[in-house]
Amino acid sequence: MKTITTPITEEIVKGLEIGDMITITGIIYTGRDAVLPRIVSLIEDDCLQNYGIYLKGSVIFHSAVSTAGVGVTSSNKVEIESSMPVLSKAGVRLHLGKGALKPETVIALNKYKSIYAVQPPVTALLNKKILSRKVIAFAELGMEAMHELRVVEFPAVIAAAHGISIY
Amino acid sequence: MLTTLNYENMVRKVADTLIRAASSCTNDKVNALSKATEDEIIPQSAWAMTCLIENAHEAENSRFPLCDDTGIPHLILETGKELAMPAGLLSAIYEGVALGLKDLPGRPMAVKGNDKERIEQSAGLSSDPSSLPAAPLMLISTDEKVLRLHILMQGGGPEIRAKTYRVFHKHRLETIIDEISDWASESVKLLGCTPCTLAVGIGRSHYEASSLMLQAMLNGNYDVQNDTEHKITESVNKTNVGPLGLHGKHTVLATFLKTGPQRASGVRIVCMRPCCCIEPRKASCVLIKES
Repeated sequence: MKTITTPITEEIVKGLEIGDMITITGIIYTGRDAVLPRIVSLIEDDCLQNYGIYLKGSVIFHSAVSTAGVGVTSSNKVEIESSMPVLSKAGVRLHLGKGALKPETVIALNKYKSIYAVQPPVTALLNKKILSRKVIAFAELGMEAMHELRVVEFPAVIAAAHGISIY
Repeated sequence: MLTTLNYENMVRKVADTLIRAASSCTNDKVNALSKATEDEIIPQSAWAMTCLIENAHEAENSRFPLCDDTGIPHLILETGKELAMPAGLLSAIYEGVALGLKDLPGRPMAVKGNDKERIEQSAGLSSDPSSLPAAPLMLISTDEKVLRLHILMQGGGPEIRAKTYRVFHKHRLETIIDEISDWASESVKLLGCTPCTLAVGIGRSHYEASSLMLQAMLNGNYDVQNDTEHKITESVNKTNVGPLGLHGKHTVLATFLKTGPQRASGVRIVCMRPCCCIEPRKASCVLIKES
């Protein structure tokens, strides 16, 4: 098990291979179907900094956040997967979700020095690993708003790295 | 008419049943996961299933949701054929569902607005977990003198991958088995949350096939598999998708199949739902029992 602490550097990404089992500790962002296209629009309009969102070296966790906890949703849903190349170009180093990605997405991740990890749906276990949570953008989306989480030892497996997918 | 005391007891019983459905795994499911973990040859896949077992224990001990997608409540009311249903029964059931969603807590995911707004999800979500409506209630009969409520909590991932469609059977069971296996083999690659459990209903209409699929989820047992169920499971496991898509022997833990009455025709309507690795989430309670 490799221990990863955020922010994630390009050197850390270089050292990870598909199949590596990791834990993630530090600050991560959440986003899924509703909010990620909005974040992509902010990047394209160059106004992400107005929201206090700093993507360089970041992790995007494909999850809602609610009183029912957190847990990965399918990353191959259209609005999530299509956001991954733009987010990677903007500095996201690790996308955390579940399910197979398209070959073109895996290629784009490699181009922008980003990787993809998957996690089983273990909401009850993760609940003990979240130290704090807060909404940082698009609060009106409720559980689908972008949240910032401070987490300890979130488990995952690297599923796509350096242009190779485990699927 | 239910007395006030009975009404309140019934509401609480329904709420507790919903919480159990969303926060506990059946023993046969945990045992199936344990056996698969011991048998798995891919370390990452074995690790994923170990996490699922630990999550099941933690959820049950803390009565916290197994998955943050706590699911849409699906209610099946099983009633004795001669049993009279008291006035207020449905109100008590729906109030109990709302209380269960509040106490669980369920994920606040009721979509607000008119038809267009709900479809486009443009008016936002309710922040109240208890405002999530249950799916239409299903009624089935029993020879017992009992009124029993079953609650299934249905997550979104399997619904994306499920399929209800016609199959021209050519008067061979194998044709149906092959079609179900093909559908499932395609869907498990994208599901993400494997090892899954295939729930299948075969009937005369799309409504009937879907209803039978729900009953298959309700009645299915990992320790009791007939030949047809076993064949489907074995066929899909040849895909080598494995737990979490990380490859390995265990893409499907079991198949739960319920076959209903059939149409005098060359067509069968099949509903196949690849239930994710934390499903079936189900629990039951007896609301009324006559001696």
